[in-house]
Formats: sequence, structure tokens, C-alpha cells
Amino acid sequence: MSGLPFIQMFITGIIMGLIYILSALGITLIFGVMRVVNLVHAELTMLSAFFMYYLFEVWHINFFLSLILCAIAISLLGLFFQRYLYKPLRYELLNVLIIATGAGIALRSLGWIIFGPLARDISTVFPGMIRILGTPLSMERAAVALICLGLTIGLYIFLYKTKTGKALRAVEQDSEAAAVLGIRIDRVYVIVFIVSCILAAVAGAFTGMLFAVEPEMGSEPLMKCIMIIMIGGMGSIPGAILAGLLLGLIDSFSETLFGGEMAYIISFALLMLVLIIRPRGFFGYQA
Amino acid sequence: MKKLMIGLAVFLLAFSVSLGTSQAQPKEFVVGCNFVLSGPGASGGIALQRAVEHATEIINKEGFTVQGEKYIVKPVLYDSKYVPAEAVLNLEKMLGQGIKYIYSLGSGTTVPLVEKTTAAKVFMMASCSGSNHLTNPKYPYSFRIYPTNEAAFAVYPWLVKEYPQVKNVAHVNPSDEAGYTESETRMKCAKNVGLKNVANEYFKRGATDYYPVATKVVAAKPDLIDFGGTAGRDQGLLAKALREVGYKGLITVHYSSPAEFSRIAGAENAEGVLFPNSVAEPKTPGQQEIYDWHVKKYGPDITGMMYDNADPLFMLVEAVKKANSFDPVVVSEVFRNLRWNSIFGPAYIGMESLYGIKCTLCRPIPCGIFKNGKLTHLATLPWPSDEEIKKLNAD
Repeated sequence: MSGLPFIQMFITGIIMGLIYILSALGITLIFGVMRVVNLVHAELTMLSAFFMYYLFEVWHINFFLSLILCAIAISLLGLFFQRYLYKPLRYELLNVLIIATGAGIALRSLGWIIFGPLARDISTVFPGMIRILGTPLSMERAAVALICLGLTIGLYIFLYKTKTGKALRAVEQDSEAAAVLGIRIDRVYVIVFIVSCILAAVAGAFTGMLFAVEPEMGSEPLMKCIMIIMIGGMGSIPGAILAGLLLGLIDSFSETLFGGEMAYIISFALLMLVLIIRPRGFFGYQA
Repeated sequence: MKKLMIGLAVFLLAFSVSLGTSQAQPKEFVVGCNFVLSGPGASGGIALQRAVEHATEIINKEGFTVQGEKYIVKPVLYDSKYVPAEAVLNLEKMLGQGIKYIYSLGSGTTVPLVEKTTAAKVFMMASCSGSNHLTNPKYPYSFRIYPTNEAAFAVYPWLVKEYPQVKNVAHVNPSDEAGYTESETRMKCAKNVGLKNVANEYFKRGATDYYPVATKVVAAKPDLIDFGGTAGRDQGLLAKALREVGYKGLITVHYSSPAEFSRIAGAENAEGVLFPNSVAEPKTPGQQEIYDWHVKKYGPDITGMMYDNADPLFMLVEAVKKANSFDPVVVSEVFRNLRWNSIFGPAYIGMESLYGIKCTLCRPIPCGIFKNGKLTHLATLPWPSDEEIKKLNAD
């Protein structure tokens, strides 16, 4: 164990944490404002990766233009779910959970039918390697980590410093009072879905570049997202950031030291511990 | 009146011909396919589905005769989702429908079936590892038709001869039935050819990030990393992570689709990787035929498992024809002694020295290396004798 590179484990943990955060932010945002667990987020991430693959890899459209097109396509798809699946159910937690689970399975199965059995890859736009404290790290991982960080800060500024963000937070805290004050709740829901879908699109494009593009690519991160949301506190962005980083570090250290299965045991033990000691998570609101 | 009579006669003739035709319709030989068609293992299941589709098309062109009656193959597909409980549920449905022949994929989803299929005297052929959990004298109707962990007996002696610089080997496998079986056999085999096992790590199949496992394995300073039962996109991601954390030694990847591997790992990370048990380019007429079929129907991205599962359905039909019976007990005995000219070369059901019964497909193992951006054929390794296998598998 003494020969194990602890700096490597630490850097890997931070990067894994930032990637988890990127995937979790969209779900956290929707839950925070609408109290809806949008499990389809994982499939939107997957579809974004496939869109990106076709736009950038197959049709050779510029990477950043492809990313914008992906964000538009995924937002439209997300709005479709919001309008035709969740709204008719009046955003009731359990009903939405069931319908979102079903829609997620259907989209994944459709993915296998349409895209076939072979995984695909999005070529890196950040080639090469760098060294941090003597530890090798691919440029693409470093770049994706910085983008995750930038998006997290951007989302924070949007929520806390802009008028629209403040309206979102008002609805999050008390939707009825917000409505009385003239905030159009339906409009806020649409904005929340669009922002969440943009996050899903970016997550899909970059995780597709880092890892592989295949119909199941959203499933594994979804489990982590749910853990992050519960540990950090339902709907809390700072909570999601803290929990994401913590989970990334736990995964990196426990997987390296004790193996992949052990990482799951430790992560779930942490989740149980948090739920027992502090049921609302790190920064969740008191029920 | 005469015209009416002629018309009536023509009608009756046409009717009797059509009736005769419908009576001569071949009967169906139903094979229940318990494949992984969704979820993380779906790439393998879809490859098998295509292999079955290919074989069925060819077999059904002419059909086959058993006890004077004409038959065609009818595969019935079930999705196990690589969930053992789902696989058992599918089996119960199949048994309920009277299906006596099962084609299964994945050791995790096949091992839970074998007690039931044996009790019901149902023939089962499985495309997976699982060694003696699936194939032993207790399960006389269970066969494994894909050289998996046992392929190590052909590959390791060749590896130490071709790459004498390799002294230390690390094993990386998924943390499931397939991974543990692969690791056990490969570690024994590596030790018996004079290599030192310096690491044996497991990861969760379908995991997102492979840096942690790569970091740990590389710290053990191996000269060779054997991917064992690692399959699909996990292979490419693991190789990419290993290279990125600084590993420069040999890697062996099995059951692979080289194009998919290099796409995910990146061409520069795939360079120099060895592919035992993977077809580089079609080398036999059988391989060429299935490749052409795939290109025409699904495009050029053919997966390795498509080749690996090209023969079993043909072999089963041959056994049924030879047995002239659909009794699974009779067919199992014929299947056990079948000699088959597979798309890889001569094949037979063997491994009695290891499992106490002839139960596992033995055939030549193609071996390639990823060089200059593409997989190049290196050698075709003959299947070792039972005596050699005994030595290589010694504790």
C-alpha cells in the first residue's frame, strides 16, 4: 500500500467528484424548485452524447456549435417531458417518479434498438497529457474538470445574482407566496427544465468524450446523482457540490485501496450515516 | 355447363395444391434464447442475436429432416437484462411453453438456471465462462460453447514464448461470476508457465471511471495486464485509464470488438495491445461469409462475439439431425461427441480432464495485435491437449 500514489488518488477523486456534480446539478435544480425527481435526466445525458457523436464525429460540425445544437435539442426534449408527462400529473412526486422511471427504461431500450451494440467515442478536443504534482493527467480530464467547475460557479451566480435566479429560488422556498408576488410559476418551471437540460447536454457531451457513448451511460452516474442529492440535501446546490466532491474522493480512495465493490459499500454506508444523523442531508431544508 | 365444370375442376386442383403446400409446411424446432438484450451487457446479447439470425437464415433455406419430417429453426428471444432473477423467470416461461433447447448468455445469468434445466432434462448451451459451476458430470445436458477462461491454456504458453520479457502479470476482471472464474483459471495458468501474479483486481462491470483500479494495478509494476473477463466498452476505458496513469507494458484483451476497443481507448492507447481470441480480419471462408453477411445487413462494425457464436446453432441442428430425435438426452450425447468444422477450424466438445465430462467447446484460438491503427493477425493457436491442460491447471 505504501507504493500507491496518494496524490493520484486525490486528483482522481476531485475530478470524479466534479463529474458527479455536473451530472447531479440538473436533477438537484429540478428537485429543489419543483420537487420532481426527474430520472429521465440520465437518458437526456445519454441522448446528448449520441447527438454529439453524430454532429461532431459523423457530420464533422464544430465541437462548440455541436454542443449548442445538443443543448437546444435536449432542452426541447426535456420540455416535451415537462409539458406532456409531468404537467398532466401535476408534478406529484410519486406519479412523476414512476412515469420517469418508465420513460427512462423506454429511452434506454430505444437506444439499444437505434444505436446497436457497439459503444462509440467522441474524439477529444483537449489532446495530450499534463503533470500535476508529478502525477500524469490527461488534458481532457483536466479540461472537463475545469468546465464542471465553471458551470457550477455559473449556476451559482445565475441562482443567486440574477433576477430570474432569484425568482427560481423564491418558487423553491414557497411557490404560493412567489405566485402571489407575481412570479409566473409555469414560466419558472420551463426555465428550470431548460437550465437542467443544458446541464444534461453538457454532461453528456463531456462524459461521452471522457468515457464511452452507449445507451447505459447514464445509469451508473444516476445512482451517484441520487446519493449526492440525498447526502447534500434535497435541492441544495452547495450541498450537491460538497457531497459530489466527498463521494468522488471516497470512490477514488476506496476503489484504489479496497476495490470497486468496497467503494459502493463505503458510499452507501456514508449515505445511511448521513440519513440517520441528519435526515435532510448537509444543507437540505427542514421538512 | 362444360365451362363451369372445367372452372370447378381448376378451382379444386388449385385448392388441393394449396392444401398440399400448407400440409408440407415445415415444423418448428424452437430454441429459447435467454440473451442480454438490454442493460450494460446488451452489446454481447445483440451480437448473439445477430449470430442466431445469421445461422437461422442459412439453416431455414433448406430446413432439416428428423424422422422423415421437415423442420426449420425458430429462435424465441428473451431478455435476461443480465439479471439472474430475470433469467430464471425467462427459463420458467420457456419450460412452461415446452421449450427443450436453451441458448443462454452470461455466466451470472446461466449458473442460476442449470439446476432447473438439468432437473427438467432440458438441453442448454451457454456462451459464457462459469467453468465447473455450469459444466460438470452433475449437469450432463449443459454445455459451454465459447472458449473463455480455458482459452488461457492456449494463450499463456504462447505468450511466454513470444514475449520472454514478461515476468510479472496482473489480472483485472469484473466483480461477478465471469470475472472470478476467469481470474482463478488465468492465475493458475500464469503461475504454471512460470509467471508471477503481482495483482488481481476486480471492478464493477459498467463502472464510469477506471482510474482507481488502473492506479492500483500499475502500482504493482506488472509487465503484462490480462483483462480476463472484461468485456465491451469496459475494455477500452480500462486500457485508456491504464495508459493515462503511465502504464507502458503489454495488455491482453479477450472477446473483443477491436474497432470498438480502439475507438474508446483511443488509437494511440490501443497500439501494441494483444487480442487473443479475437478475429483480426476474416481468415477462413466461414469467417468471410459471416463478415459479408454482417456488412450487408448491419454494416462493417462486427463484434468479436458474433464470430464466437457463429457455430453453436449449426452444431445443435447437426446433433439433432444425427440423433434423428428431439429428445434432449439423446441429442446431448450426440452433441458431446460431435466433430465440427467451425469458422475457426476443427472444433469438438472436450475438457474432460478439467470438468470430468466432455462439455466445453474446444477450437483454435485466433490471436492478433493492434498495430499501426488496426488489428493484425499474429497466430492461430491450436487447442492444447488434455494432458497439457491438466498441467497448466494444477494448483
